[in-house]
Amino acid sequence: MAAKFNDVKEGTEIPQLKKNCSTQQLVMWAAGSGDFYQVHYDLPFAKSTGLDNIIVHGALKHAFLGQMLHAWIGNEGKIVKFGCSYRGMDFPDQDIVCHGLVTKKYEQDGKKLVDLEIWTENPEGRKTSPGTATVALP
Amino acid sequence: LAEEFQLTDEMKAAIGVESKPWPYEVTTTSVRAFARGVGYTDRIYYDEEFAKSQGFRSLPMPPTLVATAVFDPEKSDHRFSGPRGTLPQFESPFKRLLDGGTETEYFDTICAGDKLTATSKITDMRSRPGQLGTMLFTTTETTFRNAEGKVVAIQRGTSITY
Repeated sequence: MAAKFNDVKEGTEIPQLKKNCSTQQLVMWAAGSGDFYQVHYDLPFAKSTGLDNIIVHGALKHAFLGQMLHAWIGNEGKIVKFGCSYRGMDFPDQDIVCHGLVTKKYEQDGKKLVDLEIWTENPEGRKTSPGTATVALP
Repeated sequence: LAEEFQLTDEMKAAIGVESKPWPYEVTTTSVRAFARGVGYTDRIYYDEEFAKSQGFRSLPMPPTLVATAVFDPEKSDHRFSGPRGTLPQFESPFKRLLDGGTETEYFDTICAGDKLTATSKITDMRSRPGQLGTMLFTTTETTFRNAEGKVVAIQRGTSITY
């Protein structure tokens, strides 16, 4: 069930979303997003830029966090503001776990708003894409 | 050790200069391609009739996708598909590129069929030492307007060159 404002509690985590990208998914993302930078599918190219491996697009991790928020708020909720920064690299065939923690709920200009801290976590438990989101809930 | 880097006059002059508008589209095909890339299974991003039954004009834009830049083989960037050379150009010693992060504010629901225009400007440029040596962080703000001229989204992105 989609989240309802009255049921949301500050300090609680929303359902996590676990992702694990194959290189095929990275290519599908390249096509969907229009980002054809070779560090995301061409290993010799990635190594030539100083990277150890192909890396997952930062914008794809951002979109994974968006997928987690969408699953939580459903089609009646709306994302008002949402961003993250890319602090650490993630690689294909490794778990990327999306998290969201409710930090504040409040009403403003007639809207029921919820602020969250959001992040992706790598297998070592490091937050590789920390950010924040504000959503409006019914 | 990373060396100090001072912004050149050319770089400083580029900050705040607004680009010409570039056309963006949202289409049913672009929404489906994006949704597949993320791994969505929600029919809202694939089935137009279902999306309409949920109150949307057509397939809605999934989070983080605002719209797709209309591709022009002469004027678009072949690597990133967006407009090329619409912002002031400058020489830079940093040739390698990483994406630093993105934040978007949404002011309206965007759906397939919408035609938007976007203008961009560099709002900040600064260098600091990073994992891979001296890095130049450039923040660019892109404003998306719909056919009526209403601002529907503002996106702030940070690119890192090193």
